[in-house]
Amino acid sequence: MNGPLLAVSGLSKHYRRAGKMVAAADDVAFDIQPGQTLALAGPSGSGKSTIARLVLRLIEPDAGNIRFEDADFLALGGAALRARRARLQMVFQDPLAAFNPRATVARVLDDPLRIHGIAERSERPRRIAALLERVGLPTELAQRAIHEISGGQRQRVAIARAIATKPSLIVLDEAVSALDVSVRGKILELLLDLQREEGIAYLFISHDLGVVRAIAHRVAILDGGRIAESGDARAVIDVPRSAIGKALVAAAPKLPAPARTAS
Amino acid sequence: MSAIRRFLRVPEATAGAFILALLLAMALLAPLLFPGDPQAIAGAPLLPPFHDWSLPLGTDRLGRDVLAELFHGARTSLAVGLAAAAAALLIGAVVGTLAGFAGGLVDEVLMRVTDAFQTVPGFLLALAFVSVVGPSLGVVVAAIALGTWTGPARVARAEVLSIRERDYVAGARVIGMHPLEIAFREILPNALPPVLALSSVIVAAAILTEAALSFLGLGDPNRVTWGGMIAEGRTVLRTAPFLSIVPGIALVLTVLGVYLAGEGVVETTATRRGLS
Amino acid sequence: MNPLLSIRDLTVRYDSRHDKAPALRSASLDVSVGERLAIIGESGSGKSTLALAIAGLLPRPARIQGSIDWFLPLDGKAPLGGRDIGFVFQDPSGSLDPVMSIGKQIGEVIRTHLGLGRRAARARAAELIERVRLPDPRAVLNAYPHQLSGGQRQRVAIAAAIAAGPKLLIADEATSALDTIVQAEIVTLIRQLVAEDGMTLIFISHDIALAAELAQRVAVFRHGELVEVGETADIVTKPRTAYTRSLLDAHLGLDAAPLLDLTPPVPA
Repeated sequence: MNGPLLAVSGLSKHYRRAGKMVAAADDVAFDIQPGQTLALAGPSGSGKSTIARLVLRLIEPDAGNIRFEDADFLALGGAALRARRARLQMVFQDPLAAFNPRATVARVLDDPLRIHGIAERSERPRRIAALLERVGLPTELAQRAIHEISGGQRQRVAIARAIATKPSLIVLDEAVSALDVSVRGKILELLLDLQREEGIAYLFISHDLGVVRAIAHRVAILDGGRIAESGDARAVIDVPRSAIGKALVAAAPKLPAPARTAS
Repeated sequence: MSAIRRFLRVPEATAGAFILALLLAMALLAPLLFPGDPQAIAGAPLLPPFHDWSLPLGTDRLGRDVLAELFHGARTSLAVGLAAAAAALLIGAVVGTLAGFAGGLVDEVLMRVTDAFQTVPGFLLALAFVSVVGPSLGVVVAAIALGTWTGPARVARAEVLSIRERDYVAGARVIGMHPLEIAFREILPNALPPVLALSSVIVAAAILTEAALSFLGLGDPNRVTWGGMIAEGRTVLRTAPFLSIVPGIALVLTVLGVYLAGEGVVETTATRRGLS
Repeated sequence: MNPLLSIRDLTVRYDSRHDKAPALRSASLDVSVGERLAIIGESGSGKSTLALAIAGLLPRPARIQGSIDWFLPLDGKAPLGGRDIGFVFQDPSGSLDPVMSIGKQIGEVIRTHLGLGRRAARARAAELIERVRLPDPRAVLNAYPHQLSGGQRQRVAIAAAIAAGPKLLIADEATSALDTIVQAEIVTLIRQLVAEDGMTLIFISHDIALAAELAQRVAVFRHGELVEVGETADIVTKPRTAYTRSLLDAHLGLDAAPLLDLTPPVPA
């Protein structure tokens, strides 16, 4: 494959709200290179989740192009789209809401293997165990119900499900925002591990610039459905140029420096 | 199981469960306790209750054993009530799920059909259906289901509409699951609780409708039914009121039991949700 | 400083079975009049249980041991939620009535606790809307909760919480559902209101950096137990426990060392 893994251009989506048309995405364009992380950052209502859902074809755009793995992703439909979804996965913010409340861990991981014909029925338990091990969970967890395990474990299961079909891109929609800080660090490390070893690219949606700066290669800062600025993640966050970038940086909670607090 | 223990802690649930258990026992034991045809003549006609202990509830106009008829009638009432309710819930859940999940034209068409059924009174529909097709147990069940599936369909659709927007449905789409599998495996089971909460009302209504049809002579003629017994007793209401009163009480108790048990189930699930 | 309340050996259980760990285990903590105290911890730390216990808002099945003593002129009566204690929840929609206008909701608090008439209560509500810096107070008074954004709803919830002039304001994860920019605005607002009214603040949060920006003292909770409590500067710069240290290390500030290794990946 030459060129970017995902190329989005002119992407627009409008909603009617109280009689007025509101742009959730307005002429958005960005690329993601294989194995790299692009973060979409911005305040609530800036359109970052809408863009994530447009890229995943969970909602349809009003206008724009999405090329994924050198093919027109918007031209796919029905069975062809479902088959291609194996390569483009997602992890949600709330890992409890992201699973069928009746599901067990095994079922959640069995579904993608069965749907995409990745493993025969008899071989799937072994695959499920391998996936659980890959995300740092004990294999006994397979028999447990989703609602019985902890939030951090659930998010690991969500990641295991996302990598089950060997995707080239995973959309992470506020995937670490609801986690305790101690758990968050370990999940971020797992994501970076997977990226290093499997070459997975991430579209990382977050309102937390600290996390973005820690794990993203590039960042696009959104405001009102438009990209206000974009570039190398550390460069943009260390010296933001747009008004919204400056506001986000100023608003990020900072631990008092020892010298300042000592006085 | 703790769910059963919680259920039995609700007083009306215990009462309802007791009545239903009694009814079920009657239905199951009927062929053992009263083998042979309950419509056969057992003694002198119009024997009052509590006079002859071999016929504790007396006999009807034709000399049939009222107690045997009551037991066998429980079978019909329960069978028809449960089968009709199950059919209504099944049709309603499938129609509601398809309408809610598919949206657009499919939703529009299915809901207009639902409207059409809802504008005709359910009992009238059942009456017309049985008169045309002819009375038999299956036809009575179908007739009752035809008039009652719309309620479950609407509830299921409303529930599916809200579940459809949840993350886990989006998650199922992302892993490439087929829409029909999403609708019936992922959404429907989670949309069922409020639909099943309707079941006590539907079972009770079905039992009453069956009784009403039998009363009008549109029940299965080869089976004893409570409605039929009441109709039988009507002609001798002044001289032998017990012939109508006994099956009437059975009917009232059954409907009461179904309501109470249903209430208990709703209460148990509600408290469980409240605690978690 | 004068004490406002004193918590001694407070244990709270939601589950009466003794094999289950209590939500809060023999916590002891003093709160002084006018101070800003942050209570931080991760999920299951008991921080919200403590907040609810102080406000007297624990659900009925909860069993409480230990004592909470108040140093308020209340003639020995327990302080009243709404009048003596203002409480701001994480989710403002949960504490606002969706079918009652904003003016009515705040007015109701005022009329209940201050005994003002309808007209006076409405005027007071308008003042409060202005104090929490909502644009166009008149429009907000007549608006319903769903017509406001999450940040605006939280401002309304704060206005309702301080309407009766409470001595103590408890904010339980009041900014967690908001984005960073709105969060910073709400924190600034709380700081201002607390200073102007001389209120005591208990700020419950999972975010140690946010808590440190606002509070003078920080109490760290874990698994229902108080880990350590101290001046913010001490907790942040020289924590006494490994747990607090780990919380500080886990914070990803804008100056943190990136986790991403930017050396180009070796193609597989």
